[in-house]
This record gives sequence, C-alpha cells and structure tokens, in this order.
Amino acid sequence: MRSPSPQVNSPAMRIAAALALALAGLLAQAQNLTPRSISRPPAVTYLYPEQVTVPAGKPATIALHFRIAPGLHINSHTPKAEELISTTLSISNGSGVRLDGAVYPPGIDFTLPIDPGTKLSVYTGDFIIQASIVAVPGEHLIEARLRYQACDNNACMPPRTISAPIDVIGK
Amino acid sequence: MKRNTLVITAVLFILAAFAWAGWANWEYRQQAAERVLAGAAQAQLVPDAAGGAAQFLSPLKGQPAPGFTLEDLSGNKVSLAGYKGKAVLLNFWATWCGPCKIETPWLIELRNQYAAQGFEILGISVDDIDRDDPAKLSGEKQEIARFVQQMHMPYPVLIDGDSLSKPYGGLDALPASFFVDRNGTVVASQLGLTSKAEIEANIRKALGVAK
Repeated sequence: MRSPSPQVNSPAMRIAAALALALAGLLAQAQNLTPRSISRPPAVTYLYPEQVTVPAGKPATIALHFRIAPGLHINSHTPKAEELISTTLSISNGSGVRLDGAVYPPGIDFTLPIDPGTKLSVYTGDFIIQASIVAVPGEHLIEARLRYQACDNNACMPPRTISAPIDVIGK
Repeated sequence: MKRNTLVITAVLFILAAFAWAGWANWEYRQQAAERVLAGAAQAQLVPDAAGGAAQFLSPLKGQPAPGFTLEDLSGNKVSLAGYKGKAVLLNFWATWCGPCKIETPWLIELRNQYAAQGFEILGISVDDIDRDDPAKLSGEKQEIARFVQQMHMPYPVLIDGDSLSKPYGGLDALPASFFVDRNGTVVASQLGLTSKAEIEANIRKALGVAK
C-alpha cells in the first residue's frame, strides 16, 4: 500500500488544490456563458409603492404610480376609438389579493401633428391608478399587471404588459 | 521553506487566474451584448435631429427579402415568391396603430398610380391572432377585415405578420415598410410615419424607375 504524498496532505496544498478545482469550474462555466438578455426598456415603468399594509378582508385603496418614458404616450383606459388598446390593470387570481376595482385617471386629449383632426385620449409622463384591493390575512408578494400600448408621434409599439411587484400585508 | 515558497507561488498564480477568468467573463458578456445590439434591426422611437421621423437602417437592405407564406383574410395562402418579377412593398401594420391609419390612404393612391408598372403592396397585419381558439380567431379576423373595409384597402392583406418578426428584424414599431425590387432584393425600408413623397421615392427605387 502506497502512502499519500506529504505535499498533498499539507494544508497549504489542500487549499491550493481546492482553489484549482474552483478555478477549473469557473473557466468551464465561462466557456458556456450565454449573453445577458437584452431588451429595450419598456415605455412604462412602475414606480411605487413596494409595500402596503391593508386591513384584511376589507376593500382598501392603494395608489399605484407609473411613469411613461419621455416622448411617448399610451392610450388611456378609455380611448376614443374601439380598435385602440386601453390601459388596463389586473391582478392574478390566487395571489391572496383580489382586485376589486380600479379608478383610472382621465385621459388627456392629444392630436398627432400630422393628423390634427383626430383626437386621442392618452396618458403621458407620470400617472396614478387607484386600485381597490381585498387581501386575505398574511403577507403576499403580488405582481399587478399593467397592459398598455405606446406610441410616439410617428410610430407605435406593440401592446405590452409590465409587472408591478407589491408586497401586500393583510392585517 | 522551499515547499512553502512553491505553494505560495501556486496560490498567487491561481488567484491571478481567477482575476483573469473574471475579466474574460466580463469581456465576453460585453462583446456578446454588442453583437446582439448590432444585429438587431429594431426601431428607435426617437425623432432625428431635424425633428423628422426616426431613421431606420435595416440590415436587410441589399439582401434578398426573407421568403414567407401567410394567409389572407379568406384563408388563402399568399407567398412572397408569387410576386417574383414585381416590385413589392411589404407594409407591416396593425389595427391599433394610428400612424398606420394615416399612411394607408397614401399607399392606396401610390399603389393605384404604379400598379400598371408592375407594383403591388402586401399589407401584413401584426394584430394578435389566436389560432388555438377558432371563435376568437374568427373575431380577430373580423376586426382586421373591418379595418380593411373602412380604409378601402385594395391590395392583399395578410395576417399573422408577427411570425415574420424575426426575419424582418424585430418589428418593434409600426408602421414598418420594406421595398422589394423585381429581383426580390430589399432596396429600402422605412420605420414609422414618413411622408408620401418618401414612400413614392422608395417605390420608384423598387421599380427601377429613374428619378
């Protein structure tokens, strides 16, 4: 039976061996890295609140703040034409929090410079949706969803849905 | 003593290798990100310095137009290959796109003006359609058909344009137009609302008509 070599048994060599193994793993991983997913920033971002405390089992109103990127507008909740996509808030069922209703801000009248005859009802800049929610007792990390469709003066982007993560505490 | 020196040297070497691996990793990610961005022919919803429409330089320019077969509103299959020998304007639009509505009358006029010279427009709707739900699909088709009727679009209108998003560079914004010459090569592209004159100039380019 061969005895282990004294070099490998020494604490310094063990550390060196462990580091070498870790390095090998890291290098192997570096070869297989995929690029970070690159996507354009959404036209609308959720600002706040991140956390709310509401009475459990009773309707409570929370104000959700959103921001639209400069130069863009989105249709209001009540656009002036049937084919236009309205801005709509929703909360998934089964999250412990139910959306009882929502009060949307009134749209601003807007006309494209090239088509002054057509009036649109839009949001620009910051806007607030008053959401009435009912939470069961406990803490729930929910993702409210906002669907919207954004345009600038010359082009429109496809409809998109963003998440608004909110920690809802029902007491 | 000698062994300790060797061990310390080895550890230092390994730490240096760690640092190198971290830097190489970062560099790789940066390069990959740049490659992805460079390859993406996506819309920039930013007006140019003169306050005009966004500039759109498609990497498809000078390349063969990616082939496709889509359905029209009656369910007939329509292929780009079927228009070989004609100059074709592929116009991506949607019912919810206001600027698309503004340019459509210009397209109709230009189509009627240049049709005799071998020009055609394929209007390609990118409205969402749900093929898994026949009832929903029927409603969605009706909505597109209503728009086509309202706008009096005389040219073929195809649906499910979203399926062409990848070969046509993302279609991140509408309207998006690709001008294809008689040989099937993309000679120009436009993103967003431009002007009737600009569209006409690109049609003439696709037809190979002198200015």
